[in-house]
Amino acid sequence: MNTIKGLLLKDLYVFRNFKGNIIFSIFMFIFLIIIGSIERDIFTISSILFLFFFGMNSISSFSYDENALSDKYLLSLPISRKEIVFSKYLFVFLDSLISILGGILISFIITILVRGKMDNIGESLRICIIAFTSVSFLMCANVPCIYKWGVEKGRMQSVIIPALFIFLIGIFGSLLLLLFPQLYLNVNLLYLFKISPYICLVLNILFYTVSYLISYKIFLKKSI
Amino acid sequence: MEYNLEVINLVKNYQDFRLNKINIKLPKGKILGLIGENGSGKTTTIKSILNLMAYDKGNIKIFGKDSKNLTKKEREQIGVVLDDSFFSPILNVNDINKLMKHFYNNWNEKLYYDTIKKFKIPCNKPLKEFSSGMKMKIKVLCAISHEPKLLILDEPTNGLDPIFRYEIIELFNKFVSNGENSILMTTHITSDLEHLADEIIFIDAGKIILDIPKKEIDNEYGIVELLEENFSKINKEDYLKCLKYKNEHYLLVNSKLEFQKKYPELAIRKPTLEEVMLLLVKGD
Repeated sequence: MNTIKGLLLKDLYVFRNFKGNIIFSIFMFIFLIIIGSIERDIFTISSILFLFFFGMNSISSFSYDENALSDKYLLSLPISRKEIVFSKYLFVFLDSLISILGGILISFIITILVRGKMDNIGESLRICIIAFTSVSFLMCANVPCIYKWGVEKGRMQSVIIPALFIFLIGIFGSLLLLLFPQLYLNVNLLYLFKISPYICLVLNILFYTVSYLISYKIFLKKSI
Repeated sequence: MEYNLEVINLVKNYQDFRLNKINIKLPKGKILGLIGENGSGKTTTIKSILNLMAYDKGNIKIFGKDSKNLTKKEREQIGVVLDDSFFSPILNVNDINKLMKHFYNNWNEKLYYDTIKKFKIPCNKPLKEFSSGMKMKIKVLCAISHEPKLLILDEPTNGLDPIFRYEIIELFNKFVSNGENSILMTTHITSDLEHLADEIIFIDAGKIILDIPKKEIDNEYGIVELLEENFSKINKEDYLKCLKYKNEHYLLVNSKLEFQKKYPELAIRKPTLEEVMLLLVKGD
């Protein structure tokens, strides 16, 4: 566990490098949310934007590691490949989690201060959880590409592979509805939305587990 | 004899290169210099020892145990300097100390900072602002500050000024002086090994072409410099290799005394490792 803490700390130091930019961006976000909230309730959209803006910065830690060939050095220390991959996933997950929680908290405080009340908090939180799962999907599709091809070479694959997944899911869904049109009438979308946090929890576990296992397998075979 | 490192018949095949049956035995208390030109297989050997890549055949033992089965505690007994890789350049000396404390249970913070002070390394400056020599100093410090038993060093004196090279050679000599610790060191700056190595292994095109105690090179090997007219008088079997440079022939002999007996009129001098390496690779 101590090693994982050290690896997380190493990645956190990368963030320190653009500490100024992060603080500036947070203040800009706060300013924009205040302005936007005067007209209407933008809690959901601001929380999601916060997540997309800050929750995907963890990828830069791969870039720093790649430039310094840090993985090679780390593997020469008493650190295993499993620990390196696990710490990366933990870092990616924590970055997304802190970003969505931070976004929700900031947006909530501002909305209450500016508007005095919040409409449909349950609905908004559900949408935030769905957005968080989408980010998890993107990140979990990205990380194995980075392990396979590197940050630079894997840039194109990092876009193509998630897009391909979404396309295939879309095709599968359309085919399903085409073959069984009664499904459309039978599926209760409202109910699905109600239980979406549970579905998202399962999906998040699935994305991270599958992605971690793929990345670990790739990294295990890799000559450093 | 007890060995801290044993490489037995190591083979690694690439499409255009083969590391062919490399054998290395590094006893306790000794420094072994692995030399060879670029692309000769030194780094492949180091990577195999450190399990950074898979090898095709052979066996590698560290502290008498298969290197793939070392426990975390046993891996903590190894210190490594790699020429081309380290932490991200945005980190500073204090950050590295904090990280290393997490990675090594026996990290000696006092030793680390004492040596930082001795080498006058600023603590809050990021690595990217250091010269390559300064960065190498920090790498060496990281390799020794957890008091390992085995040091594996890939080009550790690269980019260092002569004064620090001297300091670091002193440091390495002190490291092995307890008779328990060992160093495996690759370098192309062969002069560093002149006063440091106990044993020299010379790799060329993936093969070991010389594995010899340094003392033997000093006592048995010699260089004879000859002009064309004198060279024609020398029998081919009396020297190991010959290299013609400008108007002179340089002969490498591996039995100084015998050569001297046979050709008492010719001057013979002690070779440098660089000359031995050059003549073995380029000589006829």
